[in-house]
Amino acid sequence: MLDQYKKTHSQSVNQYIIVDREGTIKESDDIIFPDLVGKNLSTIHPFFESIDEALQDTNKTHIFSCIHLTNPENETIITDIIVKTFDNKKLPLVIISDLTLHYNNYQTTAQVRNESVINSQILELKNEYLQEKEAFKNAFIANFSHELRDPLTGILTFSDILKKTNLNEEQLNYLKVMDSSSYYLKQLIEDILDISKIEAGKLELVIEPFNLRSLLEDIKNVFEVKAQQKGLTFSSDFNSNLPEIVGGDALRLRQVLSNLLENAIKFTEVGGVEFNVSLNQIRAQKASIHFQVKDTGIGIPEDKQEDIFTSFTQLNSPQTYQGAGLGLAISKFLVGLTHSKISVASKVGEGSTFSTNINFKVDPSYASIKPVVKETSSKPVSDKKYNILLVEDSEITQLSILKVLASKGNYFLDIVTKGEDVVPRIENSEFDLVLMDIKLPDAYGDEITQLIRKMPEREHKRVPVIALTARIFKDDLRRYKKAGINDVIKKPFDEQALMSKIEEYLK
Amino acid sequence: MKISKKIVLIGHFGVGKSSLIRRFVENTFSEDYKVTIGVHVLKKEITIPKTNDDITLVIWDLEGNDDITNTRPSYLIGTSGFLYVFDMTRPTTYENLEFDLNYIKERYPNIPMKIIGNKKDLVTNDFIKQNKDVFGRFVDFYTSAKSGKNVEEVFYNLAQTLLKEAKK
Repeated sequence: MLDQYKKTHSQSVNQYIIVDREGTIKESDDIIFPDLVGKNLSTIHPFFESIDEALQDTNKTHIFSCIHLTNPENETIITDIIVKTFDNKKLPLVIISDLTLHYNNYQTTAQVRNESVINSQILELKNEYLQEKEAFKNAFIANFSHELRDPLTGILTFSDILKKTNLNEEQLNYLKVMDSSSYYLKQLIEDILDISKIEAGKLELVIEPFNLRSLLEDIKNVFEVKAQQKGLTFSSDFNSNLPEIVGGDALRLRQVLSNLLENAIKFTEVGGVEFNVSLNQIRAQKASIHFQVKDTGIGIPEDKQEDIFTSFTQLNSPQTYQGAGLGLAISKFLVGLTHSKISVASKVGEGSTFSTNINFKVDPSYASIKPVVKETSSKPVSDKKYNILLVEDSEITQLSILKVLASKGNYFLDIVTKGEDVVPRIENSEFDLVLMDIKLPDAYGDEITQLIRKMPEREHKRVPVIALTARIFKDDLRRYKKAGINDVIKKPFDEQALMSKIEEYLK
Repeated sequence: MKISKKIVLIGHFGVGKSSLIRRFVENTFSEDYKVTIGVHVLKKEITIPKTNDDITLVIWDLEGNDDITNTRPSYLIGTSGFLYVFDMTRPTTYENLEFDLNYIKERYPNIPMKIIGNKKDLVTNDFIKQNKDVFGRFVDFYTSAKSGKNVEEVFYNLAQTLLKEAKK
């Protein structure tokens, strides 16, 4: 039985060869390589050219495993080769064992293992490379947009100042174009920054109590004017049962609603825009509020309704409408942070309706919060003269603030450009307010504010400090607050943004 | 005088040892990675241009191993020269370079060895500069089996060294 099996199943094939110390073959059973007697071992394969040293030993066994040879049929065979030497009287023995089948299986296993290890190493390196690339991109965007902000502040504020000079109608029209271009640029910088933060996973909401109704009225006022300017109707309906004070991120809510309304007006040529806000329910200290923006604009084809929420997507090609296509992508993300979604219903040629339900915190303690009434008057808050210290290294921003405050007539402005000069200057003067740039060449504004808060004189250490910065993400705001900064004016700013904040703290 | 010398290529798996040999012996290159198990032995006769000396290089292509101490000693019997190869794109193949080189030098103190940073086609000169603490200290040749860059130079350089040793 065993003999029968042996005949039908493959067995290892061994060739026995006797050689002298120079490698000349004396005897061979010719099982794999025939007709070898009298030839040198090296004629079998170059491998044997390198075993001279092994043949010179005495009473030793050298095993060479997994050696690739070529058989007389010109096929690769994988072998184990044993070189056995004896004492001086006996010639060395070479045994070649053909183990091709066995080693082919090993080859397959090794191939899978090595490929998997190499691929995971490459993946790790790619991941590292992508992270470095991402970090570079984010740093580049942050720095680049920072550099754009100061000149843009200059354009915005000087444009405001220029409006108050004697201009003819043609000049005023030019100024309007400048205005709208610079506001568009401002929005674009902010959107790009937001997108970079979203991609880096660093955009978070800042939840604080705010006056919802007042925010909605503000937004309505702005877009009512914009719609009228385009010859569109604008209607709004805010339910009377909406809670007045809610906990949420007012800045980001304004951003989302402004974006939806901006788009509605942008893509509507005839008809109008509706802005409706209603209360769904209040449960477990949460108010679910429904926001709806409806237009009679160009509409969106059904198969494109998802695409509009993707960065840099504008459906109109070639572009008829201005915009980078970032606003809806950002809005979708911001609403997503509240665990909600923006939905769209639209028909081409008839219009679109964007709606979302957002949860806000409602807390009985909010009732004690008094609504902030913004002073937008161009008149000074009182006849009193105020001393303001501006800590700012950008000459454009210095000049912009100087011109705005000078036009009001009751502000004295002192300027320092280095962080190290701030505390000594405050020690030697009495300031009513400090405007503090955050990124100075030698220090950060929040660090300087910490030093101010540690000053011995009460009137010095309690001076209101308003930061001038574009860095207003959650971590930044937390840091500013911790350092003792009272408020923030976001760069780039215009005259109204600057004055409303200053006046708020000088009352 | 015609002489024959055994040279051995060692290093981690996937660093391109077989590709370097194939480029040198057959002047071919394949993007497909085929794992080497055990040993492939190839041979090439070359003539050193300046001296006109002929030498047969019997080149042992050893299976890659990420732990040099696992190299089978039988493979290294009768070795005249080493080529240690690593892959510049994969730090794991050169992070123990100093240890590996010392391991060989301690056991084979008189055998010449050349250190090769392979896959030059995949890295920039800036990358090499950034890693000069490792590469600058040890590497003799930056090669690309894919483009053929410096491949002949490596083998000819080692062959010259072996001939000089043989003439001593």
